[in-house]
Amino acid sequence: MFKDLNPILHSQLRLAVVSLLITVKEAEFTYLREKTNATAGNLSVQINKLKEAGYIDVTKSFKDNYPLTICKITPQGVHAFEEYVKDLQAYLNIKK
Amino acid sequence: MENEQTLTGEQSLELITSMINRAKNDYYDTGISALLWGSVIIFCSLATYANHYLQWAPLNYIWFLTTAAVVPQVIISIREAKSRGYKSYQSDLIGGVWLSYAIAIFLFSYLAYALNIVHDAPIYLTLFGIPTFATGYGRRFMPMIIGGLACWGLAILAVYIPYPNALFLMAGGALMAWFIPGLLLRRCYLKAKSQHV
Repeated sequence: MFKDLNPILHSQLRLAVVSLLITVKEAEFTYLREKTNATAGNLSVQINKLKEAGYIDVTKSFKDNYPLTICKITPQGVHAFEEYVKDLQAYLNIKK
Repeated sequence: MENEQTLTGEQSLELITSMINRAKNDYYDTGISALLWGSVIIFCSLATYANHYLQWAPLNYIWFLTTAAVVPQVIISIREAKSRGYKSYQSDLIGGVWLSYAIAIFLFSYLAYALNIVHDAPIYLTLFGIPTFATGYGRRFMPMIIGGLACWGLAILAVYIPYPNALFLMAGGALMAWFIPGLLLRRCYLKAKSQHV
């Protein structure tokens, strides 16, 4: 019997964002947009969903009079990602 | 990238791998810092060697140029951090290694002066090698690994080569550890930049 994959993470853009944030300490919105090739609106919506789930922290400020959004994965997000990868490995029958 | 596209298990795994690789390969270094320090140390070493024969008083203070070079270095570091768009765990660690090195080298310069150590090239070269090798190893950047090893090799050689000729080894160490890797980093950076325009 397979566990259902976490629906918050089992979405292309949200999974891409969390995969990027797992490798860095924190990242700007523009960096995430560039790496995922997503539109600003779409990315913004998905970031909000991850924030609501408690998987990422979002800090908004200004840099040289332009809005600056910085995203950082939370310990809850790291745990969810690790669980997601474990479930995925079980689903794909990948032995560690 | 679509947000709600249904993913298969294989696609999810592929996406995770591809994103992690994109972040890993995004190492951002303009090469300016390495070029700056390589040039400064080479210039100071050769000027000190020349001054051994010239005996021109102002050149006795040439190494203060390394203190002055801290100012552009701070500006470069702030600018690079701003344009990078992310902070990595590794850059914090490597930053700590370089900061420790900077403190150690200034401390040793004071000790060499206070204890009147004239033949200090082997110790400087040993110190040059530490952050260079650590950065090369951490970033998997072979020219800096070679540069670090070259500094340590030159440190042993410097024991047997008296002052002022040992200053050529100092210049050689800076060339191998920073100037050449700096040129290579700069070339990669400019190439990557031109592809993004």
